[in-house]
Amino acid sequence: MKNLNGGNTMDKSKMTEMFFGPNHPGVPGNYGINYFYEGDTVVSAEPNAGHLHRGFEKLMEEREWIKNTALVCRICVMEPDINEMVYAMGYEAIGEIEVPKRAQYIRSIILEMARIQAHIFSIGGNCGAIGLYTAMHWGVLARDYILDLFEEITGGRVYHIYIRPGGVRHDIETSTFQKLLDLLDDLEKNRMPEFEKLIFENPTAQKRWKSTAVLNQEDALRLGVTGPTLRATGLEHDVRKLMPYGAYDEVDFEIPTGNNADAWTRMKLKRDEIFQSINIIRQLIKNIPDGPVSVNLGNALKYRIPKGEAYVKVESGRGEYGYYMVSDGSLKPYRVHVRGTSTPLGLYGVEALLPGTRIEDVPVWAHSLGICPPEFDR
Amino acid sequence: MKTENEVIKLIKEKLNPLEVNKLRAQNLAVKLENEELVSSLNYLKSKGYSHLATISCVDWIEDNEFELVYHLFSYEDKINISVKTRIDRKKSKFVTIKNLWAVAQYYERDIHDFFGVEFEGNDDMEELILENWNDTPPMRKDFKTRDYVNEKFEWREYHGQK
Amino acid sequence: MKEKYKSSKWQEVINWAQKRSLFMLHYCTGCGAIELPPTMTSRYDMSRFGIGPAATPRQADILLITGYLSTKTLRRVVYTYEQMQDPKFVMGFGSCTINGGMYWDSYNTIKQLDKYLPVDLYIAGCMPRPEAILEGFLDLKEKIENGEAKGYKKYKEEYEYYKTNQKKVLGEVKRRQ
Repeated sequence: MKNLNGGNTMDKSKMTEMFFGPNHPGVPGNYGINYFYEGDTVVSAEPNAGHLHRGFEKLMEEREWIKNTALVCRICVMEPDINEMVYAMGYEAIGEIEVPKRAQYIRSIILEMARIQAHIFSIGGNCGAIGLYTAMHWGVLARDYILDLFEEITGGRVYHIYIRPGGVRHDIETSTFQKLLDLLDDLEKNRMPEFEKLIFENPTAQKRWKSTAVLNQEDALRLGVTGPTLRATGLEHDVRKLMPYGAYDEVDFEIPTGNNADAWTRMKLKRDEIFQSINIIRQLIKNIPDGPVSVNLGNALKYRIPKGEAYVKVESGRGEYGYYMVSDGSLKPYRVHVRGTSTPLGLYGVEALLPGTRIEDVPVWAHSLGICPPEFDR
Repeated sequence: MKTENEVIKLIKEKLNPLEVNKLRAQNLAVKLENEELVSSLNYLKSKGYSHLATISCVDWIEDNEFELVYHLFSYEDKINISVKTRIDRKKSKFVTIKNLWAVAQYYERDIHDFFGVEFEGNDDMEELILENWNDTPPMRKDFKTRDYVNEKFEWREYHGQK
Repeated sequence: MKEKYKSSKWQEVINWAQKRSLFMLHYCTGCGAIELPPTMTSRYDMSRFGIGPAATPRQADILLITGYLSTKTLRRVVYTYEQMQDPKFVMGFGSCTINGGMYWDSYNTIKQLDKYLPVDLYIAGCMPRPEAILEGFLDLKEKIENGEAKGYKKYKEEYEYYKTNQKKVLGEVKRRQ
């Protein structure tokens, strides 16, 4: 058992061991934390990961390039579209393929819809961790209406398999865009004010979230943390502005930041980002050009790109999400390495940052920092 | 804020690279020898490349080598740099960089689990993601996953069909 | 239970009461668990059928295996199953429990759930919609009423068979927990 300041073991006779294990309603997924506590406070912790390991990187080397588009969306379960986008971006970067404009606009609309539904689900999950179950029911219901629209566009509620190398699978009609605009109006005018009254003006919720799970700027930069967790400390870093992809360099949007880096600030940031995403989708639908939606790359089972490598990344709902792809000119990928967003926090953050919190705040810590176990288990 | 060509010039002057090239916009790749790696990473970290995204490992079985790739990023220059080095496949050993970035101990533990590479200075190499694994490390190219599955698990029989 | 009460009339009453109050263990084992919150909340409400979530295995009736099982999770699921009280039911969810599904050539997932735990009902899909899950629960209720859901008795009778299969895949215990 490790001590933070050196390698000595601590006196175990006064401490109790607890398995905050995989079978618990308070963990965000199938993941465990083993910790020692004394009195009411956690003293030392370590992660218990690997329950969701399926060996994706080995499976991807055994299948042709096109067959992997049906496989990669299962790596992150809450937000599957970013995986398809990064895989397609990596393939197009190595092969130097140019995607038509209309396809880039449609890809950005799909990614922003995925971001809105992931943020709503995350706010609901945070409320479930402190016991406010009404907000969880409302959040899951609001997310369901967005999944209905996904089903109309792509054919599936959760796993879409819509974005593929060269563009998207098929076009979207104008009537679907009109339904999307109506849904966004309903979200902005009816549902978000109700969430505001229930969650954000609630004195009990404010007391539970203020000054819990604090992560200051120095620790965040040292660990390699990105996303809303880093923006809550005051820095304005977002992959959509640092290395633009899709159609993001043709729309106007702001990046909300915060001052204190506790759970309360992160919740407010997610709510502000929902409003920014609604604004982005409206601009994209207004300015979308006409044209083809994909490039013809020949026989799908014989896709081939020259030798090369690429590290590509996108901004998911939780931060930077990247793939490192290596190709050796054959029909199957040579190596694909997945870098999930919550790898530094889920593995090293438990050891370095959890000691010092009280036991009842451990689920709040796990939910508000955005730990998603299938990303680092792969 | 520096452009890609200025960064390439800086790397060629101050470090001792085998090869530097620009892959595409905002992406560079640098190849180094084993002994130069830790000092080069230290130098790049002091010049603003302080975000370590991840450490990857690629198995080049025909050359008999492993390749370790360190991905760095700078928020001021907005450039990705992939720093690479090659080690021998039979006696796969390398030094740790956990004194520069403390997060790296978990990335190295992950590579040890899947490829069998040992890192000197990082003595916590317990199994992280696999459990009770006694075979060859699974991400190596000589581990055939379909033979392993056919031997260990049985398939369901469907009546009258194959 | 005493012998004189084991007549068929008593058993019918017990089956009728049991099928109307089923508690499901709240354990998300795989990627199929993302369709459980919509089933439990107000749109596809499942508590109108008398089904609710339970936090600990000692107080649960149904174990829902949502999707694939890696070998690390299989060990914990076997401990959980043996902690539940009789009578208990196991439902396989998704096509990964039937023959391996999408990860059929993976070195870390199991291919047939039937060899390690006795399964009463399968729900097909990848992943099943909430309406399909509710249909599965209604079928389970019919099976309980007819007395056909006897997985827990089968586990006791064929204990050696299940234990040999589990030990072949899992090996022995080396780490704590």
